[in-house]
Amino acid sequence: MSEHAGTSGRPGAGASTSSVAAGTARPLQDIWRIVGIWVALSIVGDLVFWFVAGPHVPPGDMTSSASGAQFDFNVLFMVALPVILAVWTYMGYAVIMWRASRPGAPEPIGGPRARSNLKVQLWWIVVTTVVVLSMFVFGTVELIVPAGAGGAEGPNPIWTPASKNVLPIQVIAQQWQFTYRYPTFGGMETSTLIVPDNTTIAFHVTSLDVIHSFWAYQLGVKIDANPGIDDVGYTTTNQLGKFTVRCNELCGIWHGAMYDYGKVVSKAQFQKWGTSTARATAANTKYLPPFAWTYSPTANGATGVTAANTSGQAPFSKIQTYGATTKAKKVVKNVQTSTTTITTGST
Amino acid sequence: MTLDVAPPSQMGSTGDTLPPGGVVHRRPWWMGQHMGTGLLLGIGGYALGHYLGNTIAGGYTHVGTAGENDVAIVLALLLGVVGWLAGVGALNYPLAKLAGREPVAQPDTQHWTRFFRFSVEHKTVGMQYLIAVLVFLFTGGLLAMSIRTELLSPTSHIIGPGTYISIVGEHGTVMMMMASSLVVGPLGNWLIPIMIGSRRMAFPRVEAFSFWLFSAGYFVILTALPLGGFPTGWTGYAPLQTQATVGMDSYLVGFSVIGLGMILAGFNLLVTIINYRAPGMTWSRIPVFAWSILATSALLALATPTLAVACMFGILDRTVGTAFYVNAHGGSSYLWENLFWFFGHPEVYIMALPGFGIVGEMLPVFTRKPLFAYRVAAAGMIGVALLSFFVWQHHLFQSGINPDMRPLFMLTTELISIPTGFIFLVGLGTLYKAKIRFEVPMLFALAMYFNFLIGGVTGVFVSDVPVDVTVHGSFFVLAHFHYTIMGGLVFAFFGGVYYWMPKLTGKMMNKTLGKVHFWMMFVFFNLTFFPMFLIGLLGQPRRVFEYAQGLQTLNDFSSVSAFCLGASFLVFVVNFVWSIFIAPQEAPLNPWGSLGLEWQTATPVPQHNFERIPVVLTDPYHYSEPGASPVADLAPTSFAEFAAVGAGGGGPIARGEP
Amino acid sequence: MSQVRVPADSGYVATPEELAYEARAAENALFTASRLMIGCFAFAFAALAFAYFYLRSANSYDLWRPHSVTAPVGTGTAVMAFTAAATVLLLFGLRQLRRKDVLAFDVAGWVAVLSGLLALGLQCWELTDLPFAPATGGYTSVFIGWAVMNIIMLVSGIYWAETLLARRARLRKAITEEGGAVRGVPSGIFRLNVDSCVYFWGFIAFVAVFFWIFFYIAG
Repeated sequence: MSEHAGTSGRPGAGASTSSVAAGTARPLQDIWRIVGIWVALSIVGDLVFWFVAGPHVPPGDMTSSASGAQFDFNVLFMVALPVILAVWTYMGYAVIMWRASRPGAPEPIGGPRARSNLKVQLWWIVVTTVVVLSMFVFGTVELIVPAGAGGAEGPNPIWTPASKNVLPIQVIAQQWQFTYRYPTFGGMETSTLIVPDNTTIAFHVTSLDVIHSFWAYQLGVKIDANPGIDDVGYTTTNQLGKFTVRCNELCGIWHGAMYDYGKVVSKAQFQKWGTSTARATAANTKYLPPFAWTYSPTANGATGVTAANTSGQAPFSKIQTYGATTKAKKVVKNVQTSTTTITTGST
Repeated sequence: MTLDVAPPSQMGSTGDTLPPGGVVHRRPWWMGQHMGTGLLLGIGGYALGHYLGNTIAGGYTHVGTAGENDVAIVLALLLGVVGWLAGVGALNYPLAKLAGREPVAQPDTQHWTRFFRFSVEHKTVGMQYLIAVLVFLFTGGLLAMSIRTELLSPTSHIIGPGTYISIVGEHGTVMMMMASSLVVGPLGNWLIPIMIGSRRMAFPRVEAFSFWLFSAGYFVILTALPLGGFPTGWTGYAPLQTQATVGMDSYLVGFSVIGLGMILAGFNLLVTIINYRAPGMTWSRIPVFAWSILATSALLALATPTLAVACMFGILDRTVGTAFYVNAHGGSSYLWENLFWFFGHPEVYIMALPGFGIVGEMLPVFTRKPLFAYRVAAAGMIGVALLSFFVWQHHLFQSGINPDMRPLFMLTTELISIPTGFIFLVGLGTLYKAKIRFEVPMLFALAMYFNFLIGGVTGVFVSDVPVDVTVHGSFFVLAHFHYTIMGGLVFAFFGGVYYWMPKLTGKMMNKTLGKVHFWMMFVFFNLTFFPMFLIGLLGQPRRVFEYAQGLQTLNDFSSVSAFCLGASFLVFVVNFVWSIFIAPQEAPLNPWGSLGLEWQTATPVPQHNFERIPVVLTDPYHYSEPGASPVADLAPTSFAEFAAVGAGGGGPIARGEP
Repeated sequence: MSQVRVPADSGYVATPEELAYEARAAENALFTASRLMIGCFAFAFAALAFAYFYLRSANSYDLWRPHSVTAPVGTGTAVMAFTAAATVLLLFGLRQLRRKDVLAFDVAGWVAVLSGLLALGLQCWELTDLPFAPATGGYTSVFIGWAVMNIIMLVSGIYWAETLLARRARLRKAITEEGGAVRGVPSGIFRLNVDSCVYFWGFIAFVAVFFWIFFYIAG
């Protein structure tokens, strides 16, 4: 009893004491069948997906980041599908061929042979590691090369677009609406997002109260709106059309109703719209807090004290002018006496 | 030192010997301390705390909370929990200990009322946990049904946004609390000592305490609904958290209380598995279920304190007016996101690992083959547990914090799929040329692999930052984690319940009803959640009560499937009540022909599990191996039997330190 | 108390070998548990340290520490000193216990508990008398968080030490009253318990000194 206990129970140690392969003359017959089915299914599945479903995968191709997301999703799916199919094929084969009630099913083999197989284990680890690492490399390239792929890059983006002519648009989230501020048009505010075609846009997303998330669905842009943070993300439009903006981070009871629709228009139209809207809203713009990268209700609204653009630089031209140095850091001194926590401010 | 005197029989906790002739006076079942007194004192504590809070901070107003007194609610909830614990008798010994008293033995009763009392017997606690997690699960399930009801229509509302958002938060929180104890609580507490050949838990009182905290947490979190709910979902993001009305206090206190319970439960199980293994139960022989509980317990014990601290900061923000999470006052909303997810991601694996353990335990039994690559399975679980501490920022990919770190967290997140893949290697290897018997537990085990595969592979999509730009926070993510938690853990749990029920209760669950339950649950689970991947890709964010008109068909399909999925649980309840109470069918001693140590004991398992501490001779996976040694010698003449193969339970003291 | 006393030997008899085995398992469990407990607390305080350094480096709206507010240094230093003194006393007590000098252990232990209680009391008192409002900035918030956590940790440490000393006292009484026939705890496990408790106090002292430096000295 005890001498047996000494040798067994050590998976991986029993390769040399393998017992005779039972049953068939071709012990790997099952495996080859599974591989055959798997390869066939994978090729068909991948081809069908790539050519039939792939071009329609959300979020479409309205912008560089949207088509990037679509491409990445499709590539990941091309890898994922064979993985899923491998397991399903194997399990399906096992369930059909190796069930106890199947007539003529051979008795399973126990012992060290069935406990471990160093070669199989090594191959499994190597293959999964290679797949995972290539996914990582692919994902990183696809993140860095397209300047953050439409995602949030924080206040000081490190991966910026090559284009020097970047249109900054500020997105101000509050419970429960988005307001868009165009520094290039004198800091005017609108409630709909209009963006020009064929333009690289920098979305500067901030919040007045709680955390929101700016999700311009068809543009392939998603940037969290944090209070007091200027969160930047980039995309380049390349198609005209309408798109949906939704809040993507739970922000209170009307979170579900926090959406609006925007439009990508031609550059000329955008210029025309901007100029006329700026003129039409000039009376309102005058009463707005000065344009700043972040707004605090106490600092900018309620008390009338501003955290304005203290650096004195115009925040609206080329990307370099509002890089890391012009953060609205110097703020008011009179907040520490306040015991309020959060109030909903107004811009 | 002259302290050691009488034989240290059963020293410690389950019961000390008493002076000979000690009076045993039994009381009728309705006297003494039980859940009833717990409820009474809990309500009393709530009232007292509320009164105190209003006295202390009566003039204290909060702009954000419209004058509602958070101090009163927090104190009320905390004292309510203390009252509940005192009422059930959980505090008797801790207080008596201050006077240096030794523990008093529990009434040695098998009466059913023991389930309503503070019991330190691990099998009783396990059953208490089982009922409690089912109550949690069905509560959360009913809330899910109302969510799906509201989502039947994109624009017309059945419950309205305020109630809807409360229900969403309540569903998430209840389910997360449930899922983190779903397996560890009932099956872990019940089975682990028996599986490792121990007569007891290391800290039975801690174990019982964890259960009563867990049950207190249920009431605390439910008080959120009458208090107006909380609008933050289970993630409780600040500053929405700081701004919310008093229902938020229930979330913060409830999560802290349950968190403390989780810490204690994990703490006890971890120490038990390390130290109370029977002679011969070496690390290469403990069942994979024990490995999974070991890894889970480590996560419970180490990750959860972060959550408790984060909740405490939140409570301080809301009551005494600190500014941890308030940017405009020198705090940061990122702080909560970081602390919460530093707990939250290990939590995700707390809700996956035990499922791996359960299927690993069942596959060999129903394939009549040894577990393939046992060491790889153990390594996979430990690897997942370790890596899970290094991935939390993938929840913040779109938050704008540390954008340059995203490739690193993408790497760690994707690396975790390697040890997770080990679990699949083990499963597929065990199925190879097997003799599969499609009993109900086996069906659940296979379904777990099916579902978790989808959950895991979609996890790679979510971890890929460019793709995450689209799917982050959408129904895609929602479907992904329901596939891992529900498709993985809950399926494995029900498999485990069907599998171990003959041991737990001595009764067989009805097989036909079990298969009906399985097929309904499997089919409708997939029909409910698979469309959600599409819904998410098509642009529906999580936790919304309104959505695009074009998505109604998919949402309705998902809702109707969800109702059928809910109905499948009714089948389980019917099966449970029918098989255990109405028409009980005595189970054979070892109905599945398992080699596991837990199946070698008598049914019902005696009070102290084993007549003799067994000497373990081998691991329990020697299926289809003629002439294999029995798994353990249940009546050893001497522990020396195992001497040749090295002692289990050899902790640091055994090695001569300190 | 409603629990009913029953004879403990309900249904099984342990062999001497099993008793020894379980006694050793109990000792190991105590050893593991005390270290694991430190691990749990360490993760909690790591969260606090993260909050401290994160808010300090984020310094949002320049409000990490406006006007360089500082908590009362004198009180804070006293809290830290009493905590450290309790640890040193317990360490000394443990050494004497190992040398079978039980009286010295008792005296040192009770003085340590007293010292711990003083630290606890001072820490509570400090909270009632702070020279700043909680919402003044990041520093003040984290300071209050630290005070609460320190109170929780001190209570845990004092509770552990006190229960050990109380058990010691009761056992000695029982020894004289019952002529030595005392059920309960073998000396090994008691000493190990004291050892673990002192180890935990070492952790408390480390945390106390660490945060004392960052809140009062190098803040």
